[in-house]
Amino acid sequence: MERVKTGITGLDEMLGGGFLSQSANLVEGAPGTGKSTLGMQFIYGGITQFDQPGLILTFEEFAQQYYEDAANFGWDFRALEQANKLRVIMTSPEVSYSDLGGVDGRIQAMIKEIGAQRILVDSLSHFDRLSDDPVARRGILYGFINSLKREGLTSLLTRESSALIGELESPEEDVAFVADSYLMLRYVEIESAIRKALVVLKLRGSDHAKDIRQYEITRNGIEVQSRFEGREGIMSGSPRRMADSFVEAFVRR
Amino acid sequence: MSDSDSNQLPEWQPSQPRRRSSLPGTGDLSRRLMDDMDPEVLEFLKTTVNSFIKWDLVIFFFENPHTTDTLDNIARYIGRDAVVIKTDLEDLVKAGVLEQHASGTLTVYSLTKDARIREKIKHFVSASDDRQFRVKAIYHLIRGTR
Repeated sequence: MERVKTGITGLDEMLGGGFLSQSANLVEGAPGTGKSTLGMQFIYGGITQFDQPGLILTFEEFAQQYYEDAANFGWDFRALEQANKLRVIMTSPEVSYSDLGGVDGRIQAMIKEIGAQRILVDSLSHFDRLSDDPVARRGILYGFINSLKREGLTSLLTRESSALIGELESPEEDVAFVADSYLMLRYVEIESAIRKALVVLKLRGSDHAKDIRQYEITRNGIEVQSRFEGREGIMSGSPRRMADSFVEAFVRR
Repeated sequence: MSDSDSNQLPEWQPSQPRRRSSLPGTGDLSRRLMDDMDPEVLEFLKTTVNSFIKWDLVIFFFENPHTTDTLDNIARYIGRDAVVIKTDLEDLVKAGVLEQHASGTLTVYSLTKDARIREKIKHFVSASDDRQFRVKAIYHLIRGTR
């Protein structure tokens, strides 16, 4: 199967080579875990390393904010727009859903104009306001994601998680169900310090790494590092040493 | 001048409207403020960006050039009420600064693709980075609202 490399050190290896071509990939995490950075890096890497133009649909942050955030990593988004390799589109879920669902939409025109192959949708959480009915909402998301696939785009869809640390919420099944892959970003407390963890929970039709990796947001973007050695309960946010849990399980009985 | 001459004051004519330029120094000040402005920018200010809301909208679309959204959402982006910006948004469409499209049942607005108008906007925004220009332009807009 054709793979679309993210260009992010360590992540492509976890994904068995990258995302599947024309797939929808959900990245969920709490504020500050780096969802948008990961998405921007996916778009920037696509353009600069693989010559795949990209689009960013933002429903909350101003486009100008993306230009500035990207510049902090040394990524010149304005220059990429001038070179017709990128478009940062500030819009809303209702407009993007309507535009991509119809014909001759403005967003569709921009996809064709630059020959976009990748898209970052930041964030899918804003679709919640389109309907209170979970069945209707799932229908809207399903239609939206399929319209991205129809346009030949490999998408990275962010979704906010309100849990900063500690117990995981139940996953948002409506999105997780329709997405082809599901990545989770988490804060983890280890020895009075906050670190970040990444796990690939799902990758439809393909094998992927099952371990939980540390990652850091460096001045070059996200760098996925080694797995958490000798600890368990990472995704709870408060992992324990494996020796402690062994003692708890056997010795203290 | 004799005493009798000084008593002959001009007849007061209240029905005659008072001209602005008759206010001490106002006409001169206004002319002085505008005289050293780039004529093209001044024209754009007078004919197109002739309200504070239009100024906000032009700056917003310049900084976020691929925005495509509804009246309500654009109002939120610039922190104003949709009812308040509606007329100004439509004026900018008439002036060719913005384009209006139908997207399903929605009406959406985006920045014009016309390179000539985009250049004028760029020129205006660049000029408005200068504090002196802003002071003059604000003075012009305030006078326009009287």
